[in-house]
Amino acid sequence: MKRIIFLLVVLSLAAQSLFASASVTVTGAVRDSRGEPLSGTVVTVVGNDRLYAVAGDDGRYTISVPDGAAMLRFHLLGYLTQDISLEKVKDNLLNVVLEEDLMNLETVVVTGTRTPRLLKESPILTRVITDLDIQRVDALNIGDLLESELPGIEFSYAMDQQVTLNMQGFGGNSVLFLVDGERIAGETLDNIDYNRLNLDNVQRVEIVKGAASSLYGSNAVGGVINLISAGATEPWSVNVNARYGAHNEQRYGGSVGFQAGKLNSMTNAQYTSIDSYSMPSEGDYSTFYGGYNWSVKERLQYEPLDGLKFTARAGYFFRERDLQSDTRDRYRDFSGGLRGEWDINDRNRLELSYGFDQYDKSDYLLFNETDVRDYSNVQHVVRGVYTYSLGKEGQHTMILGGDYMRDYLMSYQFEGNGYYVQHTADVFGQIEAKLSERWHLIGGLRYDFFSQKRLSHFSPKLSLMYSLKNWSFRGSYSGGFRAPTLKEMYMSFDMASIFMIYGNPDLEPESSENLSVSAEYNWKYLSASVSGFYNFVDNRITTVWNEELGGMMYTNMSPLQVRGVDVSVSTRLPFGLGARLAYTFTDEAIRAGEPLLSQTRPHSATARIEYGKSWKNYGFNVALSGRVLSAVTTEVYTSATNYEDTETQTYPAYTIWKLTVSQDIWRGIQLNVIVDNLFNYRPDYYYSSTPSTVGTTAAVSLSMNIEEFFNKK
Amino acid sequence: MLPAGAALLSLPSCNGLFEGIYDEPMADTEFGFTKVDQATSSGTIYIDATSYTKWTYIDFETFSIDTTVIAEDGTETGEVMEGWDLAVHRYDTKTNGGAVIETEFTSLDEFLASGRLPDGEYVEDVWTEDRITVDMSQMMDGIILYAPSWYNPELSKWLNVDTSTMPPVYTMSGKVYVLMTQDGKAAALQLTNYMNDSKVKGFMTIDYVYPVEF
Repeated sequence: MKRIIFLLVVLSLAAQSLFASASVTVTGAVRDSRGEPLSGTVVTVVGNDRLYAVAGDDGRYTISVPDGAAMLRFHLLGYLTQDISLEKVKDNLLNVVLEEDLMNLETVVVTGTRTPRLLKESPILTRVITDLDIQRVDALNIGDLLESELPGIEFSYAMDQQVTLNMQGFGGNSVLFLVDGERIAGETLDNIDYNRLNLDNVQRVEIVKGAASSLYGSNAVGGVINLISAGATEPWSVNVNARYGAHNEQRYGGSVGFQAGKLNSMTNAQYTSIDSYSMPSEGDYSTFYGGYNWSVKERLQYEPLDGLKFTARAGYFFRERDLQSDTRDRYRDFSGGLRGEWDINDRNRLELSYGFDQYDKSDYLLFNETDVRDYSNVQHVVRGVYTYSLGKEGQHTMILGGDYMRDYLMSYQFEGNGYYVQHTADVFGQIEAKLSERWHLIGGLRYDFFSQKRLSHFSPKLSLMYSLKNWSFRGSYSGGFRAPTLKEMYMSFDMASIFMIYGNPDLEPESSENLSVSAEYNWKYLSASVSGFYNFVDNRITTVWNEELGGMMYTNMSPLQVRGVDVSVSTRLPFGLGARLAYTFTDEAIRAGEPLLSQTRPHSATARIEYGKSWKNYGFNVALSGRVLSAVTTEVYTSATNYEDTETQTYPAYTIWKLTVSQDIWRGIQLNVIVDNLFNYRPDYYYSSTPSTVGTTAAVSLSMNIEEFFNKK
Repeated sequence: MLPAGAALLSLPSCNGLFEGIYDEPMADTEFGFTKVDQATSSGTIYIDATSYTKWTYIDFETFSIDTTVIAEDGTETGEVMEGWDLAVHRYDTKTNGGAVIETEFTSLDEFLASGRLPDGEYVEDVWTEDRITVDMSQMMDGIILYAPSWYNPELSKWLNVDTSTMPPVYTMSGKVYVLMTQDGKAAALQLTNYMNDSKVKGFMTIDYVYPVEF
């Protein structure tokens, strides 16, 4: 950032001398609402790309404005951009007060369109969880975070206490998780390893609901969740943090970042552990299996020229789970990548990348200390994306891109621990047209090809946005699909000598057609949105008892429908009070007789209220957040081999709340005290969808940004 | 970038990295009395008891192992030597007219150091009709077929399988068991593992001392 500012200063000086002849000089100070100077504020002349000035440490700026200019624009990250008419300039003086961007309206999002867009202007309704939100709910992992911030998301346990997701009727393999736009290798019972997605160094999480295969291909059936990493923004930074909580839960983390000339680097490391513990009452599971994780990641960026940037990344993740007294489950991931981004000029942008991700599972047997691998998924991805700005003012955007992926899967679920390889290729295009000040149109199409059975799929998208002052109305039609995985095609697995599970090479891709309409209102202190969605899902893949084979076999299901309504209101007021309420209604309509019946809770809501205040050397924030989930009554089959006899099963409603007290003690030292399950919810019976809570627990965490000790403020 | 990526793809790393950090699973080729120490009358038995329809018979005297195939009515086909001492089906056990007691010892050395056979009730085999599972194929319909058979409830405590959760939780007792055979000799037994290196359950490793002589 500093470097950019420096460049801008140079530019502005150059520009000033160039235009000195026909201009007036405007000077003044930029301050926040408390009168503190806002250094780094960028001042531009609206309608002129070449004129810049940057406010100094005292908030003062000077800019030469050519004749005929009408407006000055004041922009600073974290504050609302202001356009001010030059008519307000008196005696060459213009003092400005910038208001904090409390509602994150100027957060840049990328997931919806694959191009950076301001949240409030994004033609695709996007929900953003910022780093501040992550801090405020003190979430331990992505599951914890999503559940506390979004209604309609439920993480529960599948067999073997593996974590499984239900997002408004869509399971783990129908919601695409990305890290900086990259897919994640490996899965267990149709879900990726969510433990990999630790929130260390996550700048924000972007959530786009609904099908998005026209940009992201397979798995983007019910939505996309994209974790965006932070890069180094300071000349140097060192953070250390620790957390201690119930069941001997421990977390230690740290990061080191630096910026040196054209290079910037961020290194993160994290270790977490938790003991196994027993549930106080009976249920589908009786013990929570503890274990430990650790991870290291590195992100190195090099900008040899202005507009040309290379990013290299590498990561290692390790998880061990105490499954039984004599066995440990081990999970490892090795990832790396290289990306080049080149802003060729104002209109042309090119991005090329290569990514590698390897996810392994192994069993560590304590009695003979052997660590035998029985699963490995290795993905290589090469991608190219070209972005071109069309129109007189570059107001339209066209994107063309393509990916190639080599997918290698070795698994204990294949005959003789064998392996399969599949090549996947796709091309996609999207046009984003700003038809007028108010109308915004997106059209996109993608073609995906899968080598194994020569499957191919087209995914369309059409969306329209109408903006009127603080209102945005959006409507979209989009297609989603999920190609059958190598596992689903070729499995041959003896399930504890009880039955076999067979793959099915003739599976059709799952597909979904998604219609959604929404209305959104954004004001500097308040955001509200209502959206309705309808999904027609066909060929969902699941295991079905096959009489002939005498075992389970992956099979496509008949069509089903998922529809619902999302409502969300949030506010943040300048004196430190904030609140957020979100509610979701989901109706999953599955015909009786299908092998999978709905277990989606119809109603769910999340709420948060917080109050905070900060002074020069001290600040605090108290946040109460919770979620409410309605009961769901559903039919379950009494036999696994026929789909006729059912019995009624009710999973009870529950609500769970968390209180987080954060204190900024002194220069980058933050102390959090967390009371989890504040109202002592104690389940009578632990269903697999019941959280593994044993009642109210507490945790403390401490984080220190060492570089801030040396700040002279 | 693209050629670089393509070049990378053609490397052996295509199918992944760091294979060397893992252990190779040992092939299950050697079954039976895999380790015998004549001097201490002790050793290790490793058997494949994965099949639901197989009894594995062990004779300490002759170091021999025999197997039979169990039919649904409990009849067995296969030759078994006369003086067998112990038989194993999955995790179930039976004796040849013997009796078993569970000791408090968790290693054979500790037991031997105690210098005497434990007092207490030695448990004989019982006749069961709901213990020896021979067909799990209809389990999904709630039907499990059992073969009528003798069964030693004391020795079978060596591995507890808690099926109240899925997957079941397996816990070895870790205890030393003393088997008094029909001919009055004592064998000390300890189950040390019930899986092979690939985590397949039903591969039983039994450490033993036979005969136990104080």
